Amino acid sequence: MATTANKNINAKLVLLGDVGAGKSSLVLRFVKGQFVEFQESTIGAAFFSQTLAVNDATVKFEIWDTAGQERYHSLAPMYYRGAAAAIIVYDISNQASFERAKKWVQELQAQGNPNMVMALAGNKADLLDARKVAAEEAQVYAQENGLFFMETSAKTATNVNDIFYEIAKRLSQVQPAPNPSGMVIMDRPTERTASAACCS
Amino acid sequence: MHQTHSQREFAIEFQPQIHILRPSIHSRRANIVVKFQDLYGFTVEGNVDDVNILNEVREKVRQQGRVWWALEASKGANWYLQPQVSSLTEGIALKSSLKLSNLTNAITLKRLIRKGIPPVLRPKVWFSLSGAAKKKSTVPESYYSDLTKAVEGKVTAATKQIDHDLPRTFPGHPWLDTPEGHAALRRVLVGYSFRDSDVGYCQGLNYVAALLLLVMKTEEDAFWMLAVLLENVLVSDCYTTNLSGCHVEQRVFQDLLVKKCPRIATHLEELEFDVSLVATEWFLCLFSKSLPSETTLRVWDVLFYEGAKVLFHVALAIFKMREEELLQTHHVGDVINILQKTTHHLFDPDELLTVAFDKIGSMTTNTISKERKKQEPAVMAELDQRLRRLNSIKMDDEK
Ligand SMILES: Nc1nc2c(ncn2[C@@H]2O[C@H](COP(=O)(O)OP(=O)(O)OP(=O)(O)O)[C@@H](O)[C@H]2O)c(=O)[nH]1
Ligand SMILES: [Mg+2]
Repeated sequence: MATTANKNINAKLVLLGDVGAGKSSLVLRFVKGQFVEFQESTIGAAFFSQTLAVNDATVKFEIWDTAGQERYHSLAPMYYRGAAAAIIVYDISNQASFERAKKWVQELQAQGNPNMVMALAGNKADLLDARKVAAEEAQVYAQENGLFFMETSAKTATNVNDIFYEIAKRLSQVQPAPNPSGMVIMDRPTERTASAACCS
Repeated sequence: MHQTHSQREFAIEFQPQIHILRPSIHSRRANIVVKFQDLYGFTVEGNVDDVNILNEVREKVRQQGRVWWALEASKGANWYLQPQVSSLTEGIALKSSLKLSNLTNAITLKRLIRKGIPPVLRPKVWFSLSGAAKKKSTVPESYYSDLTKAVEGKVTAATKQIDHDLPRTFPGHPWLDTPEGHAALRRVLVGYSFRDSDVGYCQGLNYVAALLLLVMKTEEDAFWMLAVLLENVLVSDCYTTNLSGCHVEQRVFQDLLVKKCPRIATHLEELEFDVSLVATEWFLCLFSKSLPSETTLRVWDVLFYEGAKVLFHVALAIFKMREEELLQTHHVGDVINILQKTTHHLFDPDELLTVAFDKIGSMTTNTISKERKKQEPAVMAELDQRLRRLNSIKMDDEK
């Protein structure tokens, strides 16, 4: 029964990563099929939604594209709380952004929903000449930490739809069937006082 | 010294009609989206109704201008610059020494400002009423040029971040997105990052400073407006390391929503929708990324005169205006879509400000200060807790 029924899944997805790694650009590419050379910097977070059909399920993503600057990190819990999936983005031409990505992974492992589907995106894969982070290194790191890894380019569209599609596929597999309206809800604080909080 | 003359060309408030960039016969139909430039040179997308509204706003701006000129003619050119005037607006401490004419001026002025300062008068009126003029007068004449000269060529974390953001600040704007615009914005932001190293540079300030540059006559005045905004008008620590002031404002806002719009607050709570998901950006960018430019500046007109409580009025109004629609929603996404659509199409500032002040009702700076005091300890404790938890993750990692 679980495999035949058509599932409708609402999934909260959050993008985290260093300033300028290309979080907004990835979302813009995925949601609107566009790329702009100069993307406005994100303040707080921006919201988008997009639906994908995979196998027997329809996954409606509610996407939170967060701000990358260090001081905005105190806002992040509000956005990853209750998220079913996360894409942690770094820029392959910037070593520091890869280190920043690892910190996000740690934070999500410690604070996020334990069943969260996590993807690591090595973005700006078109900038081969400027590469600072080897794909192998990121691949090994991802494997060790239970993430799946892809190098993406918001500019050329390489792997952008693929990474969202892969997440949708995994969500449709972990999602139990009888939850027709269902938000993928996990790790939701029961006390209202806690969820009203700006950070946790 | 760094005069930014060319930006004035974009305050095209006396231009008779808005030019639709791609006019076509089809664009007459209201449901067709057209691109056009607004009063401050921003390209906006909207339907023909929006264009009509903007043309009406332009006409109202002209009428408002005539009201201001008439008052100058009867009361003298700088009638609104009397120092006592602004201290009255809260209705606090009516100093007995105060002359009756000052009192009537204050009341007139408050009403007048809520109806909008004509764009040509904005630089002058903002500069004196916000306290920027006073701030500037306490330092040597050459402060700004000395500062910009002294910091030229210095590289810090803040300057790197600023450089990264220059082309990402209102890209495509006919003046801001030029080498000249970038250079002016850079000097203001870099200068400020050295003036207050606790703030340094916080993303969001780029949009605020950019808009200030468009309004003010000179770059130096824009710098002082930024200074007075961060140091006097807004709650402190809005933009420092962990944005604690901003966290406090968000909690105050949540409480005010419960008080002022209880039905909406209850419904959103059922949806587990945290208002700060959307309001954080409003407060940090002072609506400059969400509202059309003239509407944003009308909010700022009042902000500089009445203080930070104005942000709450406006944020509450955005929810209030869509009360019935919001109560019908079942998903967080729908709430956000309604709010975004609302803010992007608020081309008529009066529509927003009428709700903000008449419908929301009065809130004094005093009650809001008390509310902030109440929320501060909880915010600090939470931020502290988070920091400790993150540090313990790091320690585990090192073991
Ligand atoms: N060459 C190349 N440039 C990219 C790519 N993705 C993003 N960029 C550029 O990198 C810059 C930053 O991209 P954003 O998408 O704004 O980055 P962000 O992670 O959202 O940044 P914040 O909102 O500041 O945290 C922009 O100027 C983009 O045009 C890519 O795949 N290839
Ligand atoms: Mg972004």
